[in-house]
Amino acid sequence: MTTLVQLTGIRKTLGGQGAPRTILAGVDLTVNAGESVAILGRSGSGKSTLLSLIGLFDRADGGEYLLGGRDITRVSERRAARLRSDEFGFIFQRFFLLKQLTAAQNVAMALVNGQGWLPRRKRRARVMAALEQVGIAHLARHKPPRLSGGEQQRVAIARALVRGPRLLLADEPTGALDTETGNLVVGALHSATERGCGLILVTHDREHAARMGRTLRLTEGTLTPDPLLTEGAFQSARPTEGALQPINGERG
Amino acid sequence: MGLSGRARSALIIGGQGIRARKLRTLLSMVSLFLGVLAVVAVQAGAEIAGRAVLADVEITQGKDGTRQWYLPSHANTVPVVLETLRGRTDAIASTGTQAIIGEPDVAPINPGGTPIEHAGMGGGSVYCDSNGNCFGPNGRPDQQQPPGQAVELLLSGLTGDIRPFRPFRLDSGQWLDFSGAPSLSPRIVLNREAAKAFRQYQVPAEMRLDGGSANPTPRIIGVIHDGGYSPAAYVRADELLNWLPTSGLGNSQYGPGMQIMSAPSASDLEQTLRARLAARGVPTDQIFIQTINAKEAYRDELRVMQLIFLGLAGLVLLIGVAGILNVGLATVGERIEEFALRRAVGTPRLLLAGIVLTETLLTGLFTAAAAIGAGIVGLKLADPLLGGRITQLQGVEFPWQAGAAGVIAGLVAGILGGLIPALRAARIPIATVMRA
Repeated sequence: MTTLVQLTGIRKTLGGQGAPRTILAGVDLTVNAGESVAILGRSGSGKSTLLSLIGLFDRADGGEYLLGGRDITRVSERRAARLRSDEFGFIFQRFFLLKQLTAAQNVAMALVNGQGWLPRRKRRARVMAALEQVGIAHLARHKPPRLSGGEQQRVAIARALVRGPRLLLADEPTGALDTETGNLVVGALHSATERGCGLILVTHDREHAARMGRTLRLTEGTLTPDPLLTEGAFQSARPTEGALQPINGERG
Repeated sequence: MGLSGRARSALIIGGQGIRARKLRTLLSMVSLFLGVLAVVAVQAGAEIAGRAVLADVEITQGKDGTRQWYLPSHANTVPVVLETLRGRTDAIASTGTQAIIGEPDVAPINPGGTPIEHAGMGGGSVYCDSNGNCFGPNGRPDQQQPPGQAVELLLSGLTGDIRPFRPFRLDSGQWLDFSGAPSLSPRIVLNREAAKAFRQYQVPAEMRLDGGSANPTPRIIGVIHDGGYSPAAYVRADELLNWLPTSGLGNSQYGPGMQIMSAPSASDLEQTLRARLAARGVPTDQIFIQTINAKEAYRDELRVMQLIFLGLAGLVLLIGVAGILNVGLATVGERIEEFALRRAVGTPRLLLAGIVLTETLLTGLFTAAAAIGAGIVGLKLADPLLGGRITQLQGVEFPWQAGAAGVIAGLVAGILGGLIPALRAARIPIATVMRA
């Protein structure tokens, strides 16, 4: 299996008004192409920081980051923008849709980003295919205020998928959704992995984490396999709503 | 040549930004409008004034680059010049002679050749005799003639076609024909002022020449615009010489005597003529030659005034720039999430700055279009309202230079007002915003 992401000894310390705080203290992680990985952890444990390092929103203070075998630990901002455009798809808890644009225009945002140019017709075809993939092609002309939370998140997923990324990075994508809608969204993400796209899902929800191929827990700045959810435990049996409740204190 | 992908992206996203914030765009335009309008108005005013001033400069003073000679009054000046210039097309000589056309033995209606509007209001040259007694244009009181139907004018005798040097505009009839033998009845071409006088006073055509032995009957063959405000007429010098001795030419009370206009290429003429005049006893140290540079001189004067006014307009424009800057900074502050998101999906920092600049540039262009439109409408309204008093506004077209200045002002304001917001947009950190 092809190794997509390989992190070795990744460290990150956040400064601020107080004393510097070490968030990641030597994270090792390998994600293969088409693999789905869930990362659990308490609030403030550094899950989003790790995701932002993988997605090249930020740079690590130490360690090594290989993407597809190439060292991108200290990649330039220009190259990072290109990689964010072509290699990654991002999904956030708050959707981050522009309310003045239609669903189709929001999805097209990832195509009109200065990284290559597609004629209008091809662009539209790609956008509609992405919306179709998440089952909301009929809402293409709707603006976000007219869409439900689940529909908005699916627009965000379509935006992440429209350039055909190799890796999806989802930061608590169901955090603002009810359980049923959250299941639908995770289902949409999961179906993307079936097409060969890797997925790293940061979540507090064990039920959603259980649907991933592998579950890791970020504790004390390092990643360890989750003791409660073993690899593939839920692959044979699809969980039903409420089968696993979120752990108290981990939500939000 | 097509636009690059980034430029197209900036245009699309910038257009979306403007559509999403129409009111803010309008407010930016309002703050910028007066500044751009001031630039358009100054440029339009300068162009219109420049055209009005420069239009007649070539006609009255000659084309830039023409060599203009002033020759001393001397008995041999005229014969030498006529002989030297014979057959040349790159130089002509002209003489100024006083002429009165009309009833015989009467005083002209405009003594001294004053403009016809001032006829009867005095004026004209004053003569002083050797005893120090000075008289009006009609001479000694005991020699004064009774007023009658006659017009006094400056009669310029030409050795060739003067129009390559002073491009007179033909109003009617025809210009002088210098080919063929000279006629005994001098053919004359009037300027507008002289034509006006002859329309007003139906005078019998007898021409009295200052220093002439007899009075010929002239034939008026055309009317031209020579930019002059006093009555004047043009005639072939050789036709004039049928009635005047050569000493009479170039001895007029009106001007410096004989003049030559030559093309810059006629460099050999200067040496030849100087040598011949010196050989015939003409004092060559009294020859003055200058190169006409009138248009450029006027242009320089206008440019200074234009720069002063443009400076003032620039100050007004700066206030508009401050408005765009203010709105731009507020907008970027509100769009932090959008810009962070765009960076997250791969938009380079440079393109983000480009998007903000595109929006302010488009705002500047829209404002320029509005200001240019206002300028065109203003000029259309000024013609019927003010055209009667300000003749330069009659039928005047909106100068394209004013439009170009408006577009440049709009673009400069867009760049100045959008630069800081653009830099701020490019520096928005993704990680901080997307985690919030």
